[in-house]
Amino acid sequence: MAQDNTIIEQIVDRYDAEVGMLIPMMQDLQAECGYLPVDHLHLLAKRLELPLSRLYAVATFYSTFRLAPKGAHEVTLCMGTVCYLKGANVISEAISREFRVEPGGTTRDRLFSFQAVNCVGACALAPVMVVDGQYYDGVTPDSALEILHNLQPDEESTEATAKEAKRD
Amino acid sequence: MISVSTRFTSGADIDKFAKKLNSKGRKAAKTVRVCIGTGCAAKGSRRLYELFCEAAEQSDQDVRIEAKCVGCHGFCERGPIVVVEPGEILYQRVEEPDVAEIFRETVVGGRIVERLLYEDPVTGKKAKKADEIDFYKVQERIVLGNNGLIDPTTITDYIAEGGYTAFAKVLSSMTPEEVISQVEVAGLRGRGGGGFPTARKWRSCREAKGSPKYVICNGDEGDPGAFMDRSIMEGNPHSVIEGMLIGAYAIGSEQGYIYVRNEYPLAVEHLKMAISQAREFGLLGKNILGSSFSFDIRINRGGGAFVCGESTALMASLEGRTGEPRAKYIHTVESGLREKPTNLNNVETWANVPAIINRGGEWFAGIGTEKSKGTKVFSLVGKIVNTGLVEVPMGITLRQIIEEIGGGIRDGRSFKAVQTGGPSGGCIPAEHLDARVDFDELTKLGSMMGSGGMIVMDEDTCMVKVAKYFTEFLQKESCGKCTPCREGLAQMLYILDRITDGEGQVGDVERLEELAELLEGTALCALGKTAANPIISTIRYFRDEYDAHIKEKRCPAKECRGLFRYEIDSEACKACGICMKNCPVDAITGDKKVPHVINQEKCTLCGTCWEKCPFAAVLKV
Amino acid sequence: MHAMRDLLGEMPVCRGVKSIRKNYPVPTVTIDGCKVRVRKDATILEAANRAGIWIPTLCYHPSVSTDASCRLCMVELDRGEWRQLVTACNYPVRRDIVVYVSSERAKKARRGVMELLLARAPESKELKVLAKRMGVKETRYPNVTESQRNCILCGLCVQVCEEIIGKAAIGFAGRGVDKAVAAPFRQPSEDCIGCGACAAICPVGTIKVRFHEDEKEIEISPFKSRVKMLVCQECGALIASTLVNEQALTKANLNSEEFRERLRLCPKCRRLQTVANLGSVTFGKK
Repeated sequence: MAQDNTIIEQIVDRYDAEVGMLIPMMQDLQAECGYLPVDHLHLLAKRLELPLSRLYAVATFYSTFRLAPKGAHEVTLCMGTVCYLKGANVISEAISREFRVEPGGTTRDRLFSFQAVNCVGACALAPVMVVDGQYYDGVTPDSALEILHNLQPDEESTEATAKEAKRD
Repeated sequence: MISVSTRFTSGADIDKFAKKLNSKGRKAAKTVRVCIGTGCAAKGSRRLYELFCEAAEQSDQDVRIEAKCVGCHGFCERGPIVVVEPGEILYQRVEEPDVAEIFRETVVGGRIVERLLYEDPVTGKKAKKADEIDFYKVQERIVLGNNGLIDPTTITDYIAEGGYTAFAKVLSSMTPEEVISQVEVAGLRGRGGGGFPTARKWRSCREAKGSPKYVICNGDEGDPGAFMDRSIMEGNPHSVIEGMLIGAYAIGSEQGYIYVRNEYPLAVEHLKMAISQAREFGLLGKNILGSSFSFDIRINRGGGAFVCGESTALMASLEGRTGEPRAKYIHTVESGLREKPTNLNNVETWANVPAIINRGGEWFAGIGTEKSKGTKVFSLVGKIVNTGLVEVPMGITLRQIIEEIGGGIRDGRSFKAVQTGGPSGGCIPAEHLDARVDFDELTKLGSMMGSGGMIVMDEDTCMVKVAKYFTEFLQKESCGKCTPCREGLAQMLYILDRITDGEGQVGDVERLEELAELLEGTALCALGKTAANPIISTIRYFRDEYDAHIKEKRCPAKECRGLFRYEIDSEACKACGICMKNCPVDAITGDKKVPHVINQEKCTLCGTCWEKCPFAAVLKV
Repeated sequence: MHAMRDLLGEMPVCRGVKSIRKNYPVPTVTIDGCKVRVRKDATILEAANRAGIWIPTLCYHPSVSTDASCRLCMVELDRGEWRQLVTACNYPVRRDIVVYVSSERAKKARRGVMELLLARAPESKELKVLAKRMGVKETRYPNVTESQRNCILCGLCVQVCEEIIGKAAIGFAGRGVDKAVAAPFRQPSEDCIGCGACAAICPVGTIKVRFHEDEKEIEISPFKSRVKMLVCQECGALIASTLVNEQALTKANLNSEEFRERLRLCPKCRRLQTVANLGSVTFGKK
C-alpha cells in the first residue's frame, strides 16, 4: 500500500537507514500505527535489507512492542517490588477476572490494553496504576476496577464490540 | 526558559556568562521552586507550577518574582514539594488550594504558612528549611545537590551554578592522562552495581587499539524499587552530559550514547532538551570551545527489557539486535559497540565526574571508606516512614539510613530486613543493621550495593515470597539464551511456587542451593550468575521461614495464601455483617450484636473478609 | 611426533603438536596436565582437541559462529588464587594458561547443565546418548517448559540458515522461558527453501524433515514450511526441493535447458536409463 510505504520511508529517512537504529525505527512505527502491522514490518525489512526473521525476533524480544492493535485506553499496572508487596498482583488478578484480559493483551471490545510493567519509579505511591499517562496512586482492587469501568470507549472500540457481538 | 542564547568559544566565555546570570540585576528577587519529578508530578505538581507561574505573572510587585520547575528533591513521601526563596522555606504535601495562600503569605508577605511545614512525627517540631529536617541532615548531596535548585529544562541554571567549568578546565589545562589520574585518586567506582574502578576502565579503553571509540551512559535503570538514575536524568541532565564530555576527552572518543529506559519518558525529554541546548551553546559538536576536541551524544530509548542494563546486551540493542549478552572474555573496553573500544558507565557514575574535577580527586577520596569513596544515592522505599531518594557518604551504617533518615518503620511495625542490590542482591536482617554501607561490606553480608535500591521490609513480609518475587521477575526478564539461567530460573521458581502453595518437600532448600551454585558457575552473564542471590540470602538469614513453609505448611508472616488462617477478633467485631455478606462460600455465621465467626472447615482462605472489614476485626493467624 | 607416554598417571596421554612458526606468539595450554601449543586466539576447545581430551558440546559447530549459549562445555581456568569456570568453545587463548577439564567442579558444572537440558528435552535420543557418555544417567529435574519442548535453543538451526544458506528463514522469537525458534509470525516461512540444513545440524533431533508423497512436498517440522519438490518423470519419486535446486543452479551458473532436462529423472531411474542406452554390453574376461 502506498500509504504504508510513505510511513516506512519517512521513518527510515529519519535515521538515515542506519540498521543500528532499528529499535527506534520500530518504536516510531508503533507510535504511528498503535502497533507493528505485519505489512509494515515486511516493507521495513526490505528497505533495510534485513531478513524478516530479524525484525520478528526484535519485535517479540522487547516488551514495548505489540504485534496486535491496542485498545482505546492504555492501562499499565506497576509490578515493582514495593507495589507487589502492597498487593499489585491481587489488583492484576482482579482486573484479569473482571475484564477477561491478561497482562500484555487487549480487552475483547478493545476498550483498553493492559500491561504489567516492572517499576515505574514512583515507589512512594505504591500500588501505582497508570491510565493513558495519568498516574493513580495507592490503588486497591476496588478502586482500580472503578477507574476502569469509567473508561469511555472510542469509535474504533465501539465498532469492534459490534463486530464481536454479531459474531457471537 | 532560556531568554538568552550564546555560543561559547572558550572556557572564559562560560565564566563570563555565569557571572552575568548571577549578577544582581538578572536574578529574580523571589523564586518559587516546584518539584516536577515524576513522583511529585503524579500528585499534580505540574498544575501547581502552572498556578505559581500565573500568580508570578499577574503579581503587581516591584521586584521580579519567578516560578521555576525543578527536579526531584528526594523527599518523595512528602511531595509535592515547593521551596520559596529567599529563606529556603520548604513546604510539603502542597495542594492546589494552597498555592494562593503560599504566594500571598510567603512569597509576597514573607510570612510562613505553618501548616504546610514539615513536622517531625516524633518531636512535633516544625522545620522551616530542608537542612532542619532529619531526612536531609545526615545526607551529603553531591550528585543530587543541584536537584531541586535548578530548572532541568534550561542550561542557564546549570551554568549559573558553575556547570561546565569542570569541562572547560579539563579542555584547557589537563591532559587525558591527568584527567584519568584525578579520577583514580578519587577512587570512583561504578555506581551501576558492578563497582568497577572507573579510572581503570577509562585507562583500558584509552589504551585499547581501534577507532572510533565510544562512550555510553547506561540509563537503563531496571532494578524494581530504584529510581536514582531517573531523578538525575530528569533533574540534572547536564551533569551527565558534562561527565561524558570529560570522560570522552580522557578516552579519546567522539561519539557518545545515552541509553534510557523506555519507561522514563520525562528523562528522555529532559535529556533531549539538554543535548539540544548544549549543542546550541557550542558545548557539543565539532571543535568544542575552540579546541580540537569534538563530541556529540545520541539518545536511544530502551525497548522494555531489564537485561539491556547489562553492558553487552545494551550494546547489542544499540546495534539493532535483540538484547542478548555475550561472553566477556574479551572486555568491552577492547571490543564493544560494533566491536570497537567502548566505555560504558552508569548515570550516577558520570554525574560524579564534574565534581571530582572541580574539587579534586583528593577531596572526593576524603569521603567514604577505604575502598569505597564518595557518596551513593539510594532509593529508600518500602515499609519506611520517609520514602524517597537519599545521598549519603559511603560508610554510613544501615541503621543511620533507616532510622535517622528514613524515620524508622511505618505504622508502628518493626524492622525485619532491607533488600539491597535489586534482583542481584540479597536481604540483610536486623542483626546487621550496624554494618557500614560500602561495596565490600554488603557483598560480605550476602547482598551487594547494586544500583542503590533499598527496600525496607517489616514483620508482615514473607521472605520466601520476596525470593519468589525476584525469581519471577528474573524469569520474565531473562533473555533466554543460556541454559542455566533460562531453565534454572524456571526450576527454582517451580520449587518456590510449591513451597508458597503449601506443597514444599523436604530437600527443597537443598535443591535450591544446588541450582544456585550451578547458575553462579555456568550462567553466561551477571543476570544469570547473580539470579539466585535473593534466594540464597533469604535461606541464609531466614531459614526458619522456609522450614515453616515446607515442614509445617505455615507462613509465619501470614502472607502466603492458604498457609495461615483467618479468625475474627470477637472483641473488635461490631457485627456489621459485611464479611458474612461478601464471603463467597458462606463460611461466616453471626447475628446482629453477636460477634461473627469463621467456620474454618468451609473457609477457602480467599481473604475477602479481611479486606472488607471496616473495623480490622479479621485477623491473620 | 606422537609422544605417547603413560607415566604412572602423572602425565596423561597427549597427542603431539605440529611445529609452529616461531614468528608468532604461541601460547601453551596446560590442559589436565597435558601441554599443547596453539596459535593465539585459538579456543580452549581447539587445545583440548589437540590434546585428545574430549569436552562435550552441543551448540558448537565448526561451520557456524558460536555464542556458547548451551553452557555444556564448562571447564575450569586457573586464575592463581581462584579458578574460573569458562566455556571451552569460545574462550580465546592469548597467553599461557592452565585448564582443568576433569576437575570435580568442572564435571559437576557440566553434569548440572546436562540435567537441565534433559529436563527440557526429555524425548531426544541424541541427548540421552551424549548424557550417557558424560556419565549422566538421568535428571533430577521435572520438565517445566511449556513452549518448544525438546528444543534446547542452541541456535544452530538459526545460524546455519543465516550464515551458510543465507536465507534466515527462521530465527528466535520471544524472550526467556518463552523463547522459541520460529519462522516470522509463526507462519510457514516465505524464505525457506526446504534444504533441511536445520534438521541436519540439530543436535537433539528435534527438527525433522518430512516428505509428503501426495502433495509432492518437503516439510520442515515444526516450522510447518513446505516446499515443492522436483519429481521424477519416470517413477514419481521425490528428488530434491525445487528451491534448493534453483539456488544451486543459479549459484553454479548451470541454468541451461540441457541441465534441467537431466534433473527430470531420479538417480535410480537415470541409472536405468544409462544402462538402457548402452544397449547390450559384453563384459569379457581376458
